[in-house]
Amino acid sequence: MSEHVHVAGVGSTTFGAHPERTLQSLAAEAARAALADSKVAASKIGCVFIGNFVGGIMTGQELLGPIVAADLGLSGVAAIKIEAACASSSAAVRIAHDLIRSGAEEAALIIGVERLTGAPREALTSAMTAAIDQGTEGLSGLTFPGFWGLVMSRHAHLYGTTREQIAAVTVKNRKFGAKNPLAQLRKAISLEDVIGSALIADPIRKFDCCPGTDGAAAIVLTNAALARRFGSPSVRIAASILTNGPARISDYRDITTHDGTVEAARRAYEMAGIGPHGIDVAELHDCFSIAEIVDSEDLGFFAKGEGGSAVLNRSSARYARVVINASGGLLSKGHPTGATGCGQIYEIAMQLRGRHPNQVPRARWGLTHNGGGTAAAVTVHILESLST
Amino acid sequence: MTDTQTISGKVYSHTVIRVPGKAHAAAAPFVLLLVELDNGRRVLGYFSGPEPPPIDAVVVGKVDTSTPVFSLLQGQL
Repeated sequence: MSEHVHVAGVGSTTFGAHPERTLQSLAAEAARAALADSKVAASKIGCVFIGNFVGGIMTGQELLGPIVAADLGLSGVAAIKIEAACASSSAAVRIAHDLIRSGAEEAALIIGVERLTGAPREALTSAMTAAIDQGTEGLSGLTFPGFWGLVMSRHAHLYGTTREQIAAVTVKNRKFGAKNPLAQLRKAISLEDVIGSALIADPIRKFDCCPGTDGAAAIVLTNAALARRFGSPSVRIAASILTNGPARISDYRDITTHDGTVEAARRAYEMAGIGPHGIDVAELHDCFSIAEIVDSEDLGFFAKGEGGSAVLNRSSARYARVVINASGGLLSKGHPTGATGCGQIYEIAMQLRGRHPNQVPRARWGLTHNGGGTAAAVTVHILESLST
Repeated sequence: MTDTQTISGKVYSHTVIRVPGKAHAAAAPFVLLLVELDNGRRVLGYFSGPEPPPIDAVVVGKVDTSTPVFSLLQGQL
């Protein structure tokens, strides 16, 4: 375990509604863009990992690894699908990272892909709840908006987090997303729009929820020698962590603190040799507006209970300098579940290259946080620009 | 015959499911409570009323299916 792993190339489709596209065509578009961006010869790719959550349920398509690899003209490679609900593709990045770091592979292609639009709302809700234990809590009819509704009620009870503070997350992320050409929802909205939108799972309202999304994103990872040889962009993975958290809400020690995120962050900061206050830009798993507040606390950007006030008072010196979800996050850019983890790494890589539509000046350190299920599968990646 | 067990505890958190999955479409909207039982364990259950009781309210529940149904302890709100 000695190799530095480089993000040699990134690619993405637009996130949104692509009813005419197959999973295969979305995945291939993002993959070709990432391979071209990396300049790495396709013959150097030793494995193709596809992050996908509900392709089988929503489209009837499985075995995406070999099918997409064949579409890309790649043969003799390890090509499989990896599933960790909404953290599928970032989990795949972690596995590829370790293969390269160990010297087992020189280069890997990781693709996240999903198709979620076009289905009736109840069908989409049912598909998503496949990530809730259907032998226990799933029997109650708990949904993911319901899970986060329980978290939001408790967070407000313990810390006084207000409806306005939580709505401000959506307003902030929609403002960022309006400038991101990849984003699904590009219209800015107001606090009143969020607070006046329909209840979905009290106190979660419509505009507290990310949309269902079609899209794909892809990453080429290489060892340092290949990155140098092909002149790939200078971004390295300083930490890649995948861990689990409670898989049932009744198992949580405290539902306002997600232990999987806390543990993944602790190990990632240790691996990278940097703390939360050194991070310049971060993409967090804001599947719901309250989620960004909880995540920002669990990652150490703000003290527990202060994530809400930090959204409305970011100019205060007491808060970390990190810019959160400059892509628009899941709330605006969209949430093609299996593709979201790679999409987050795409956004951070572009920030660290200085080429993002909402560029954070002099960004050197970036972080991604991606959660699957009830934060039951969690990844944290820390990336460093080698050119700043 | 099904044995019915009675449990009690305090409301830890609550939500109202208004957009359910297909299997629970006919029941919506319905209140879900996360209840901290007297023995310290937490359990997810339904509430008998249309609006959730406040956090920390004492509730009693009957368990005769996979998901218990709670109601307020008599004399509370």
